Amino acid sequence: MNISTGIKELDYMIDGGLRTGQCYAIKGTAGAGKTVLSLFMTLGALKQNIPVLFISTEVEPSKIIDYVKSFGMDFDGYIKKGLLAVDKITLKPQGVNLVQTDKFDLSAIIARTKAKMASIKAKLVVFDSISAFIAEFQYEKTARSGFMDFIREITKEDAVLILTAESQVSEEHATLEEFLVDGVIKIRTELISNQLVKRISVPKLRSAQPISFENRFIINKDGIMILRAENPPTIFIKEEKTGIDRLDELLGGGIPAGSVILIEIDGETNYFPLFLTTLFHQLKKNKGVIIHSNVHMHSARILEEFERVECDISSHLNEGNLVFIDKYNRTVTAVEAREISQLMTTDDMVSVTVELMEAFTRTEQKSVIYGDLTDDVNILSETDFLRYFALQSFNVKEKRAVAYSFINHNAISREILARLRTTADIIIRFSRVNYTNYIECMKSSTGATFLPKVVKFRSKYPLVEIIG
Amino acid sequence: MELKILFFTSATCSWCPFIEQVLERIVKEAPHLELEIIDITNDISRAEEMEIVAIPTIILPNNQRIIGAADETFIREQLDFYLIMG
Repeated sequence: MNISTGIKELDYMIDGGLRTGQCYAIKGTAGAGKTVLSLFMTLGALKQNIPVLFISTEVEPSKIIDYVKSFGMDFDGYIKKGLLAVDKITLKPQGVNLVQTDKFDLSAIIARTKAKMASIKAKLVVFDSISAFIAEFQYEKTARSGFMDFIREITKEDAVLILTAESQVSEEHATLEEFLVDGVIKIRTELISNQLVKRISVPKLRSAQPISFENRFIINKDGIMILRAENPPTIFIKEEKTGIDRLDELLGGGIPAGSVILIEIDGETNYFPLFLTTLFHQLKKNKGVIIHSNVHMHSARILEEFERVECDISSHLNEGNLVFIDKYNRTVTAVEAREISQLMTTDDMVSVTVELMEAFTRTEQKSVIYGDLTDDVNILSETDFLRYFALQSFNVKEKRAVAYSFINHNAISREILARLRTTADIIIRFSRVNYTNYIECMKSSTGATFLPKVVKFRSKYPLVEIIG
Repeated sequence: MELKILFFTSATCSWCPFIEQVLERIVKEAPHLELEIIDITNDISRAEEMEIVAIPTIILPNNQRIIGAADETFIREQLDFYLIMG
């Protein structure tokens, strides 16, 4: 069962809504709005007549009911209808002295929560907050492992469990809560020109596609507002096309000449349909295509793939519009094209590419370069590679060409990826989750970015179709 | 005056049978103390009323709570005051 959070944009971010049997954590620093968000999610469920159990570890139920009135929520009404129960759980009730040891479990709150859930048939349980609760224990480790049982037992009841957890400002790594739960909703606050700006993201989402964007998160007296980070294109570009109509449209009509496009893929995704579609489009438009061959993107395979999808490129090969540069001195057969097959240094590569681009310019052809950089990163030294990439990018810009660089972002270091991203004009991420392929644009020189969209493969040209 | 020790236990608690034995032994030695054992598996209302979170929890007559299992010496130490009274 899917439970809507009542906030449309948040539903979108967590793949349609909260799934029963799963546990979500709302993380954020103090004052980020974790409790407010959890209260709005409570209200969202109540509006759909889904019973909710709200457990507070810090505040008395009466105070919460008073507090939500300022947002125009009538919790009293829902309590009377039997849809809502607000409970307080604390280890140390007033006037009690504690002596603690490290040998205990949390079966009492599990049983109490289950009993409460049964009494109102709750499908959503909000626990605010786990950090405050754990802090009451002298032996936090035991409490945390006990809390794992709590998560397990509550989600077993076919309900959604939402935990709020405080994150530290300096926190770089995932904390225990993040490993335990199925989804993490993170609220981050930062000070931008003297204003506190809140951003919301979903860094973890089990069994669904997480949104890799941070959206703006705004709390005001009307409630919660989430603004999507997807930017519509601002300028209309006619210069160059990728050959995938929907992609061009999303990018604002096309791509500017002189762009370096970085296509990030994970190791599992087959980027060939995307690659072949754009490549075939360039050939049809009588452009000069230079392919830096390597292990994946080698001439024989490309020709085979074209044959398989029944795209005839023989005329382009004969005319010499398609050139393979073989970087690592591998014997290339079956190509009746201009071939330069010798062991090359990166400088050779750069100069050969420039020469080819110039040759294409002489015949009034625009050049397009394709390459899979993954192997280069791993074969070349870091400085050699970065120098090579920078030089190629510079030449592409100078010659008003377009370069498509494919890279497996899982196979290279974060630092290299960050540097590639800085140099690239357009970053397109191509990923696969649960046998569904997604395409998204993370950066664009024209300001047009878009969130992941489903990609479908076809057996005939055009091989890719973007849905949505 | 009746001095009551409440002992909350559950079916999943592996230390509880041991604590139960210890408490029963102590109570036997000090007849002015009374022991009530509440298994939350059967009766959750008492746990709700006393706001019990962790198991085992021992509530002493002065409302002091021992959370978690401990050895006999430790429990006797905590109960010291009431044992002397006898």
